[in-house]
Amino acid sequence: MDTVAAVDKLFARYAAVLDAGKVAAWAELFDEDSSYAVYCAADDERGLPLAYMLDDCLARIMDRVKFVDEVWRGTVEPYRTRHIFQRTELESVGEETLRAESNVLVAYTGKNDVSGLLCSGRTEDIIRIRDGEALFKERKILLDGTPSRYLVYPI
Amino acid sequence: MSEFTNIQASVSRQFKVPADLPKVIFSDPDIYREELQRIFYGKYWHPVAHRAELTELHSFKTAWLGEVPLLIHRGGDDVVRVFINSCAHRGALLEQRACGKAQEFECPYHRWLFDEKGCFRGAPGRKDFRPDFRDEDYGLRSVRVEEFRGLIFVTMSEHTVSLSEFLGDASQPISDAMLDDGRLTLLGYQRVIYQANWKIYIDNDPYHAPLLHSAFRLLDWQGGAGKLVTTDPEGHMCILYQVQPYKDNGFLKDPSVVEFKGTDDRARVIALRPVTGITKHIDTINVRFARPLGPDSTEVHYAFFGHESDDEEYAKHRVRQASNLLGPSGFISIEDAAIYNRVHATSGDRGYQHFVKGVGKERAEWTQNDEVSNTVWWAHYRSVMGFDKA
Repeated sequence: MDTVAAVDKLFARYAAVLDAGKVAAWAELFDEDSSYAVYCAADDERGLPLAYMLDDCLARIMDRVKFVDEVWRGTVEPYRTRHIFQRTELESVGEETLRAESNVLVAYTGKNDVSGLLCSGRTEDIIRIRDGEALFKERKILLDGTPSRYLVYPI
Repeated sequence: MSEFTNIQASVSRQFKVPADLPKVIFSDPDIYREELQRIFYGKYWHPVAHRAELTELHSFKTAWLGEVPLLIHRGGDDVVRVFINSCAHRGALLEQRACGKAQEFECPYHRWLFDEKGCFRGAPGRKDFRPDFRDEDYGLRSVRVEEFRGLIFVTMSEHTVSLSEFLGDASQPISDAMLDDGRLTLLGYQRVIYQANWKIYIDNDPYHAPLLHSAFRLLDWQGGAGKLVTTDPEGHMCILYQVQPYKDNGFLKDPSVVEFKGTDDRARVIALRPVTGITKHIDTINVRFARPLGPDSTEVHYAFFGHESDDEEYAKHRVRQASNLLGPSGFISIEDAAIYNRVHATSGDRGYQHFVKGVGKERAEWTQNDEVSNTVWWAHYRSVMGFDKA
């Protein structure tokens, strides 16, 4: 498989597992020394470091899975999602390492609710290719504005 | 007879005691409109910013008090002034940025110019203005401002008591949460919209039983030994306790995010009436600026802070903890978020909410987990809205 196809497969898998509610499978798309974070774009541009979600190591990503699957399940209001990614940049930045950017839209539907737009934004990614398989080393999501509801699941 | 007068009489017949809340007060649009007048534009002080958000001279932030747009500006003289963010001419929104720096404000519609003290400074075509036009009559409207530990409060009423009188015994817990000197630094914001009435938000945010939190059990956090302070007449509610060191029970792969790494173990949770939450918990400092968007919706800006004395490592820890623990998607607070919406979801069923735990006990015996502490506010609300006239 060539590099672009591996990245496409990673993006497709990412959307598919989140939209299927398989958060543990989402965590498997991150490399060993990886990070995941969701920021407000305007605050990020101001240099403010606070995030909506800030998993700066794989252990934190795994803990997020635990909270979604084990801790919050009976309390939070669940919702379905549809993640749409459109890649806008892809370039090599080192041996087996790529930098990507993409736009993202996430639709959501609560139980028996009308569907709506949960959030829009873009991603800044560092991707590693190992044995032909692509994994996220860094995934930074920058939201355009306030999400339509509180976020339960990773974006 | 106004629409509110009709509903006021009906609610008064149902709202017999502050411990039993007729749910209609959370959903009726006429009650909401009246709350804007009596509470949001009435005799209350509302925190709208912290000086840490206005880092330099000439910094500004825009915000809303109910449906009133505000322009909060730190002048070259280091005085914070708050104006109605509306051109004195035809009323266009004067400044549309969320924040920035400016020494004057120009309306794009007819190019009216205002200085940072809100004074009218000129406009094209000035010589053709109406004969009775005087510059001093066309400045920006300002609102009363007071500060406490860097928190900037405003009130729309000329009759509001002084800020210190309004805060009463809540002053000390707020001062504690602002680390005594208020020299905070802004880490950032988490913004969220809850599908809940503003009163449901504040009634269930600072106070709720730890039973809600599955995460507390899994992390072996069970509070309840804290000191409770409630004020009269508004019913500000403050919970004071000590941070307990986290004992790693193996539940988290990365327990560092919940560890207490500071030296100030004062923990504070404050419901500042009518609708602001202030917390200092573990190593996080948080002011929750809330704004009603109607009877069914509340926007909350969770502003998190550090302190000017933080070294790089501690500042980074604060960011990690603040980003993951106590915001709308935080490990702990997400369960609160769910409850606001779930409580509001039933507000149209013509039933009641009830307070039971601790009700009937002497006030001196109230404890942290007694829900009776919220009833001081509800007694005040019932009176202010005229629901005690049955």
